[in-house]
Amino acid sequence: MKKKLLSMLLIGAMSVTLLSGCGGGGSDDGKKEDTAGAAEKEAAEKTLEVWVPPLDDDTVNNWGGLMSDWEEENGCKVNITVVPWDKYEETYTTALNSGEGPDVGYMYNEMFPTYIDAGAVADMSSYVTDEDKDEYKYLENGFMMDGQYGWPLVTGVPFILYYNEQILADLNETPPETWEDFARICEAATKDTDGDGEIDQFGYACGMSTSDVGAMQILNAYYYNALWQNGGQIYEDDLKKVAFANEAGTEAVTWLKDMVQYMNPDFMSLSWSDAFATVFGQGKAAFGVYRSSQTDETVFGETYPDVKWDFVTSLKNKEFGTFGATDCLTLMSAAEDPDLAMDFIKYVTGAAFMEQYHAKCPGAALTKSEPYVGDAKMERIYTDDLDKWHGLQVGPCGVDILTQLSADFQGIMSDELSVDDGLKEAEEYANGLLDEYWADKE
Amino acid sequence: MMSKKKKYGAAKVAPYCYIAPITAILVLFVIGSVIGSIILGFTKYNIMTEPVFIGTKNYARLMSDSRFTKALKNTLELMVLIVPLQTVLAIGISVFLTANRKRFLGRLANSVIFIPVICAPAVTGVVWRELLNGKIPLVEHFFGLFKIQPSMLLGNAKTALITVGMVAIWKWMGYYVVIYTSGLLSIPDTYHEAAKMDGAGKIRGFFSITLPLLRPTIILGVFLSTTNSLQCFDLIFNLTGGGPNNASTTLVVYAYSKCFSAGAAGYAMAISNVLFLVILAVALLQHKMMKREASEVS
Repeated sequence: MKKKLLSMLLIGAMSVTLLSGCGGGGSDDGKKEDTAGAAEKEAAEKTLEVWVPPLDDDTVNNWGGLMSDWEEENGCKVNITVVPWDKYEETYTTALNSGEGPDVGYMYNEMFPTYIDAGAVADMSSYVTDEDKDEYKYLENGFMMDGQYGWPLVTGVPFILYYNEQILADLNETPPETWEDFARICEAATKDTDGDGEIDQFGYACGMSTSDVGAMQILNAYYYNALWQNGGQIYEDDLKKVAFANEAGTEAVTWLKDMVQYMNPDFMSLSWSDAFATVFGQGKAAFGVYRSSQTDETVFGETYPDVKWDFVTSLKNKEFGTFGATDCLTLMSAAEDPDLAMDFIKYVTGAAFMEQYHAKCPGAALTKSEPYVGDAKMERIYTDDLDKWHGLQVGPCGVDILTQLSADFQGIMSDELSVDDGLKEAEEYANGLLDEYWADKE
Repeated sequence: MMSKKKKYGAAKVAPYCYIAPITAILVLFVIGSVIGSIILGFTKYNIMTEPVFIGTKNYARLMSDSRFTKALKNTLELMVLIVPLQTVLAIGISVFLTANRKRFLGRLANSVIFIPVICAPAVTGVVWRELLNGKIPLVEHFFGLFKIQPSMLLGNAKTALITVGMVAIWKWMGYYVVIYTSGLLSIPDTYHEAAKMDGAGKIRGFFSITLPLLRPTIILGVFLSTTNSLQCFDLIFNLTGGGPNNASTTLVVYAYSKCFSAGAAGYAMAISNVLFLVILAVALLQHKMMKREASEVS
């Protein structure tokens, strides 16, 4: 009987615990106390929630150490939360769903359309002054879907074409400028150098696996540059249809597919960064694509000491063009104090903050007042070659469209699909989504 | 008379009290989420704003969605690949380990085989990707014996899904070995001894005694293996990302991408509901088989 009583009590306790755990906010008294406490706390100190991905090896401390002046001036504590890349979008959507999102967020171009459509991010156009337009070098990259939804924070790291100086010298070639130059050098460079009957040096080090990097990355690294250099673009100007399967787009992919014969044979298994490290970085390819950094001269000197390299920011067929991401800070619609959040955005992207931050973690200057910090070799990306790279055209259903395009691009490059079939499949899928999107809007 | 009535009443209530907590958990977190998913499958929903009812539009779109068809095909292919192979291998290993359970190597193997089960699937995926793509001489040499280039496996649409399936079998083998070993140990030795006396060899004993008596465990193992293979996510995500050209995209991977990348949670719920129906069908089949098994025994 005692045992039975004990077990009944335990069950009762478990049930109460379970139900209380599932309960809302507790008792009314508790709520009142919470509200009163919050009001007192707010009066004492405001808090600004900022969510960013890992921007360097210790973002919280690297940023946090430079915040004190602004925090003191505004009587506000900045809470920086670093959200890991692999759960980035998932964290945002689930948090916004439960009303626990940040005041200031960080988004990359492809992320924006969904959040703009959902009204989760605010148009910052009214905060843009003439001085801002003059001072911020990349501000227009944050203008998308008829609004200033992004305030560029990380930009100036375009995917560029690195070449092995030694291989080009052995072939008596100068750095390529056009598609013809590139193809000719690739063909000459692809050969068996040790005479064992197997090709061990390749023209183009490529990696088109999307496993650890996400579907978009192969477009960033290999597709957009070919498309743009041939005068193509993802969307029509009115964003109602896609344009990547037109003549320019088809020519661009056909040209890329012709380059497969000069690529490392395992290019479909490697990510772009692995291919660069294990093929180009080991001196086994004439060319490799990598996301540039101001410190490449220093870093590559340590990582690939035996490779003599230089780079071409962009080849030219009809035009110049390569992809340079524009990741932005954004004002969340749910921000408690939008003016304060906006002031913070301008502060961290401003010259004073960035000059100190880039001294610790080199990056491209966002403003005209900030001097270039980085290796001399990389500086021409931001001077002579500034018009050779740009961000992505932001349009509706972006992630969906580009994910399918990425899959079909893989199909084309791995010879599963013809260029026409692959692009047609991606185009039909994309236009179907866009038709539905615009029909909903109307 | 009165006290008897009271006793009878308490005895009647007690079992319900015992199952109340787990029932509450099931209703709130399992049945509740299933119902939520079914309802949201009929809506246009992006997680951030209020869902809008759109009837069966999501399901109509599924019918013409080539990525969904491919994902469904991949999901079923992966199941067909994993379940039989995993079952046969796990039974074989269990029989071997049970026979050698008192030897040092048998005990060691028993422990070692469970190690992959306790590794996170994401870690397993990354480790295998590096093993296959990392151009490690030992790995290259091993696969070379079978004329296979390991670095080509994950990048080829024809081999990507098979490779994922093999890694999944390797990862969960220990789990099923434990299940089948417990089933084997519950078979009384007297049956085998009697068969031996009647002149049955080891193979005859295995097919005529071990396998028939192991049938309830096999039904359970096959059911678990089927549901696990249908829900495989982390391994695929980390090994291939669903590629190349969606060759290893399964329903779960597709639903995840639709929900969190494309902001189409309503559509993702519709995909999940189709997967739920497949799993439900398997569960009902297993239930029916277990019931028949029980009636045959009684």
